[in-house]
Amino acid sequence: MRRGLIAWSKAELPESVFDSRLQRLRGAMTAEGLDAFVVYTNNTRPAAVSWLTAFVPYWAEGLLVVPRDGDAQLSMAFSNRIVGWGKGVSRVARFEGVPRIGIGAGKYIVERGAKRIGVADLDGLRLDVANDLAETAPDARLVDATALFERVRARADPAEIALAAKAGAIAQRALSRIDPGETQLRAIIAAVESTARLAGAEEVYMAASADLLRDDRFLRVEAAPPIGRSYALRATVAYKGCWVRMTRTIIHDAHGASLSDRAAEFFAAAVAKLPSSDGFKGFKTWLVEGCRLAQPLDPLLGSRIEAPRTLAPGTIVTAQAVIELDRHRIAIAAPVLVGTDGSPSSVLVPPAFGRR
Amino acid sequence: MLAQERRHRLREAMASTGIEALVVYGNAWQSDYLRYVADFSILEGHGIAVMSPDGSVELFVDSAVEVERAECEAPGIKVSLAPEIAHAVSARLDRIANHRIAAAPIGFMPRFLLDSGRRFKLEDGTRLVDKLLMVKLPGEIEALRRAAKLADEGYEIFKQAATPGRMQYELIADVEAFFRLRGCADNFMIMGSGGQDVYAMAPPSERQIARGDLVTTELTPAVQGYFAQICRTMVVGTATEAQKRAFGVYREAMEAGIAAVRPGVTAADIARAENDVFRKYGLGDYVTNKYTRVRGHGLGLFTDTKPHILEDVATVIEAGMVMIVHPNTYHPDVGYMVLGDTVLVTESGAEVLCRTPRELFEV
Repeated sequence: MRRGLIAWSKAELPESVFDSRLQRLRGAMTAEGLDAFVVYTNNTRPAAVSWLTAFVPYWAEGLLVVPRDGDAQLSMAFSNRIVGWGKGVSRVARFEGVPRIGIGAGKYIVERGAKRIGVADLDGLRLDVANDLAETAPDARLVDATALFERVRARADPAEIALAAKAGAIAQRALSRIDPGETQLRAIIAAVESTARLAGAEEVYMAASADLLRDDRFLRVEAAPPIGRSYALRATVAYKGCWVRMTRTIIHDAHGASLSDRAAEFFAAAVAKLPSSDGFKGFKTWLVEGCRLAQPLDPLLGSRIEAPRTLAPGTIVTAQAVIELDRHRIAIAAPVLVGTDGSPSSVLVPPAFGRR
Repeated sequence: MLAQERRHRLREAMASTGIEALVVYGNAWQSDYLRYVADFSILEGHGIAVMSPDGSVELFVDSAVEVERAECEAPGIKVSLAPEIAHAVSARLDRIANHRIAAAPIGFMPRFLLDSGRRFKLEDGTRLVDKLLMVKLPGEIEALRRAAKLADEGYEIFKQAATPGRMQYELIADVEAFFRLRGCADNFMIMGSGGQDVYAMAPPSERQIARGDLVTTELTPAVQGYFAQICRTMVVGTATEAQKRAFGVYREAMEAGIAAVRPGVTAADIARAENDVFRKYGLGDYVTNKYTRVRGHGLGLFTDTKPHILEDVATVIEAGMVMIVHPNTYHPDVGYMVLGDTVLVTESGAEVLCRTPRELFEV
């Protein structure tokens, strides 16, 4: 579910940002002979549409149609009562509420006379939406445009970099609220999550490893597990369509602070080598996620990824890892900007949270 | 235990219809079918579970962090990371292509799985699972009772949070923090604040709470994946006579709806009982889809499950169903108002699970 602030910030995402993104998309469409581009959005696959329009779905699903020329249209499964809200939190020329989004989008494709339609993640498109689209626009030929969109959106623009840094800063500030003396994990999570939400996060997912030495996997906390000698909290924060993860480890050991600092140094060194994964060889586990299409944090590289992706220069990703130092485990995560033109990749928000 | 009971019940239902294997889809918004089969609620990305003819379950998810969570939270389930989820599930179904396989909800499946080029054929299993989702087991009802109690407690926090000058999203931050403190991992809520200019509830905005505002919310916490809901309206300050009069219509409509709930009636009967009250007061236009969506809905592993309480829904109500009765709509004199309680359908009628008074609160 989604529960945070949904608002289009024109200061952080001015209209010119969307004009520029649409221009990039239309350039690629022209090169591939597409009359229109279609992409689906819902609560868990919001990223492509929010990147193009600022709109973040809270519960409903939608289809965005971007003709090669003319206005883009977002068809959302909304009643008319909600359309006004949708228009107020997005930047798209045409916004409509319809019971069946495939029909709404299909009608617009017919109206535009578009014939060759590129659909992002065509194979994954929800069946009844795909059927409605095909039946409403029977003369349209649907082709997969996943690779096209991936190329277009890969390199982050300054606005996206700023938003990722802001999301990271919100997460870092929230994680700094951890009271090392608190022994109830639920209370710690509540304090961290509340801080992030009050700072304007669109969404916050908290996960914890209550005892890193026993199990360094991160879970949501419904029960009240006892905290071990070292534990870690991961805050996944969304801000204006931009998602990052940050992790803070608490070590109840006299050398905890220096261990954290050493882990942060190893992590920064590993990150600097991205897109090469060589730097992570000394880590127990590691994962790099980023947005390729519509899911905000797709798995890209990692110790459990069987088919690694190639990271494009200038992409924003989130790296997370667990390292073992002096019989301790330290979990760490931060947003990263993949280097361009030979420059090293770097963390956007350093995973340092002060000393206890 | 509850997961095993659900799976056992599902296997019996499948056997009675000759279905040998089942494919179910879920994502963070709607995870009910998936949770019923795999006992796992998706938070990021989406997931598809396959229940094979031997009863084993394999879960495919496209988020790496969800893989490790599923491994811990759903023991006994094989979990696979599948960034190209439709293709991975297709390869799995190829191995049982000679069996009768149903999919639920079939309309949510990736189109690739229904493509004519597949070796397997998927039948529509949505109604088979829907029936199980609607009529609850005792363990499911117990979880819903706990969720309803949490909804009552959460509303108290919401009331306390609604002070002039605060922004809508700040109220929700307070409620979410309270739920995390109570070990509640999930909640759905929307809200509204203002007067006659407010036509619906929506996601939280930066709008500030002001004296005289009507503040509405629909608050839906989950326990063990089961969502119970409460809808209430408050006034910041002292309610006007018009607000009190209007609220009286909603209370009468909700109580008429709840009084209509019993086994054997239809969802339409309940909606009609609510709407007749509005019509009696000359407010018939405001129970149409121009101003409102539904007059209530089922609750369970999804916040908005079947049956939808509408005058054209013929679903027969059965004991063991859990639903919210909420005549939420726009009132021309005062703006959008909400009022709703979660109820359990018993053999003799309805047991109301929410305890919060049915008042137009003044804060």
